[in-house]
Amino acid sequence: MALLAPIICDNGTGYSKIGFAGNSDPSFVFPTAIATRGSASSASRAPAVPAKPGHLASKRGVEDLDFFIGDEALANVKTPGYSVHYPIRHGMIENWDHMERYWEQTIFKYLRAEPEDHYFLLTEPPLNAPENREQTAEIFFESFNIKGLYIAVQAVLALAASWSSNRVTDRTLTGTVIDSGDGVTHVIPCAEGYVIGSAIKHIPIAGRDISQFVLNLMRERGEMATVPPEDQLKVANKVKENYSYVCQDIVREFRKYDEEPYKYFQRYDGEYSVTKKPYSVDVGYERFLAPEIFFNPEIYSSDFLTPLPEIVDDVIQQSPIDVRRGLYKNIVLSGGSTMFQHFGNRLKRDLKQLVDRRLDQSAILSGSAVRSSGVEVDVISHKRQRYAVWFGGSLLASLPEFYTSCHTKAQYDEIGPSICRRYQIFGSAT
Amino acid sequence: MSASSVSRAAMSNVLRPYLAAVRSTLTAALTLENFASQVVERHNKPEVEVQTSLEVLLNPLTISRNENERVFIEPSVNSVRVSIKIKQADEIERILAHKFTRFMTQRAESFIVLRRKPVPGYDISFLITNTHAETMLKHKIVDFIIQFMEEVDKEISEMKLSLNARARIVAESYLTAFNA
Amino acid sequence: MILLEPHNVIIQNTLSEKLVKPSSLDVAFVDYDGVRFRLSTPEKKTQLLLSMSIRCWDELVKYGALDILGREYGAMLLPQAEPEYNVSMLIDLEQAPQEPDAREAFVTSISLFKRHAYAAPFERAFQTQKELEASGAQGELMQVHYRDEEAIYVQAAPDRVTVIFSTIFQEETDGIFGKVFLQEFVDARRQPSVQNAPQVLYSTREPPLEIRHVPGLRNSEDTGYVTFVLFPRHFAPGVASSTISHIQLFRDYLHYHIKCSKAYMHSRMRHRVTEFQKVLNRAKTEVATGERRTVTGRTMVSR
Repeated sequence: MALLAPIICDNGTGYSKIGFAGNSDPSFVFPTAIATRGSASSASRAPAVPAKPGHLASKRGVEDLDFFIGDEALANVKTPGYSVHYPIRHGMIENWDHMERYWEQTIFKYLRAEPEDHYFLLTEPPLNAPENREQTAEIFFESFNIKGLYIAVQAVLALAASWSSNRVTDRTLTGTVIDSGDGVTHVIPCAEGYVIGSAIKHIPIAGRDISQFVLNLMRERGEMATVPPEDQLKVANKVKENYSYVCQDIVREFRKYDEEPYKYFQRYDGEYSVTKKPYSVDVGYERFLAPEIFFNPEIYSSDFLTPLPEIVDDVIQQSPIDVRRGLYKNIVLSGGSTMFQHFGNRLKRDLKQLVDRRLDQSAILSGSAVRSSGVEVDVISHKRQRYAVWFGGSLLASLPEFYTSCHTKAQYDEIGPSICRRYQIFGSAT
Repeated sequence: MSASSVSRAAMSNVLRPYLAAVRSTLTAALTLENFASQVVERHNKPEVEVQTSLEVLLNPLTISRNENERVFIEPSVNSVRVSIKIKQADEIERILAHKFTRFMTQRAESFIVLRRKPVPGYDISFLITNTHAETMLKHKIVDFIIQFMEEVDKEISEMKLSLNARARIVAESYLTAFNA
Repeated sequence: MILLEPHNVIIQNTLSEKLVKPSSLDVAFVDYDGVRFRLSTPEKKTQLLLSMSIRCWDELVKYGALDILGREYGAMLLPQAEPEYNVSMLIDLEQAPQEPDAREAFVTSISLFKRHAYAAPFERAFQTQKELEASGAQGELMQVHYRDEEAIYVQAAPDRVTVIFSTIFQEETDGIFGKVFLQEFVDARRQPSVQNAPQVLYSTREPPLEIRHVPGLRNSEDTGYVTFVLFPRHFAPGVASSTISHIQLFRDYLHYHIKCSKAYMHSRMRHRVTEFQKVLNRAKTEVATGERRTVTGRTMVSR
């Protein structure tokens, strides 16, 4: 039988992206949630069934098959007897029992694949504990008997995804990844496919905060008065996704809007999901203010004040000196919250200013006439940014080297889960 | 009293002397002292593992309940190795016991006294050194091993029961679907 | 989820989505038993090309798969399949029914593409059985090599249709678990609730009588044969199609449940191991932490 396409599984804190290698988009994107029977309190201690092993009634059944995942899990929130759990917290798998069952249903119900016939590519957050990899390998090889497994770091896959951009000429795995999802934004430097763990920085501003900020702005302007309360966050989300962009200069942008409001203000029409009553709101300054919280966090939060370009600069400055040029030259965006128009340009401009200022200053301080040749700063944005990690996985898994870099079932049986501690990178041209 | 608890009581009567023998042997064997290696300077190795100085090794001892279940205790001056052969009546119990011990040794890091590989001929081994005996309560270590022996059999037979029960439900639900 | 569903979720989701909002796409995906699909829009956004590749396509064609697909999909089926695939159909979204119910039925029928292709030998056997009722002869033995080492054999007889699955387990644990499961399939008929179900037989090594003459059968310890004996009541007009959908998925169902039980064992073991962990932790002596002070109230700091 010809080799069937490898399966790419990117399980994130909020959403799981699952599909087959070679495709440009994941086949399934649904919440990493599982609705199981049994009350939330008892299930958090131990799995509902083995909790009382002496009890005969609990052994008789197949209660552990009674669960839903993804969108179906959320649809069953209100069903009596079910409670929803999120097995992944902060990118790390917390509840292995739930995760194993989550995978089980992903494979058999949604992908409809016989795991014995497929290779799998899974993702992990940077600085994941090797024990977690071992547990993952144990599940995939022992429960599912998969053919081969490759566990890749999300940031590295995001770098690989940027190879699809036509501005990238050399397929390098050195670069800085800015990964902004729903909960948190990470800035991760990678050198030749390995994450520089000591220099990673997190920013507590991401998609959820932007939506909240849009909501606040629109409430202040009184636009939300016509919108039913339960729909407000949804409207804010839509405004963020469909109308927002990054401007180059806030002051000028404000002036533009005030001079020609009819040109720049837009209308959003919605319908109340319960009564089907239509409503409409004006979308104004929030169009450019929403993503501005990355560059001027003080307009939204009072405890986190460092702009994104400064963080990126810090991260690169903390990395080893010999890779810094590579890190400045290849800044890659990943995740839904980096999708704003002109986001890359603005970041590039601000970062370039920071770098040039430092170069000038050092020239003055050293008093020498020799000037630096300058540092190249480039931010890569591309079409596949939203599911960049998944896409990078799909790209790598369609390379022929993928199969030789995988840990196979035979190797696992020979050596045991510890083989997954070894991590081999491949695919880069350098 | 139901039938199952009667049989369990009867079983534990046979089990008790066996466990008692293991307990007292183990307690006696756990007289360990800090003992530097006589072969390599400034090294301190569990003598029962390295087997280089025969004079510090004590006579190993096997306690058998029957031909399928036994405990092998190898004492030495600074370490004791305890190996257990778990009851395996059939193929299913064999694979379940293998899975279980493998699962546990995989997590040996957190089971300080667990040996990562069983002694040949046994299913699981523990290595207790003088450091363990000093930092942990000796009788509680013995308690742990005894409790492990008690529960592992129970767990394996329960897993086997649940596998059978599951298979029955699975088969029935497949076949009843033909009636629909 | 105990029973597996016969339809493909990806086809169903994509199609329902594209009916609302057509856009260009090109995706490849799989289904059980090594079936590969490709869904693409080669020319227009509203014209979806769905291609399927099946390992044992030639065998299925021999047993009339094209007739069944032609019956189900009519003009949508293309005479020429896309390269690298066995069969293709063109779905014109503009031709799809408008009413929500009919539309749903349309989507469901397309998502059963694989099921219909695999239905061929079964439908033929059911038909042959009716023809044989008078003559009393044995029908042709139909072989479907749906996986590398496993096959389905279907044969009609005057009073029944026999379906034999050859099974092989790649892994030792799977093999042992599989035996337990298959034994229960055989025994389950003793239950009153499943009296009407087909009779199930299971044998290892020895192939059943019906297929003993087939050349190239493996005779190793890990090979097993599962025989389902279907009586006319199982393929009466009303239930025939559900019987087919159901029996097709037998192997996948079995393997799904073997994997589920392993996952269940894992969660049991995880629980048990943490319990053991707690017992061992009780042995650890408490390290005295608490500040120690001198008489004058100064804290003692160890350096």
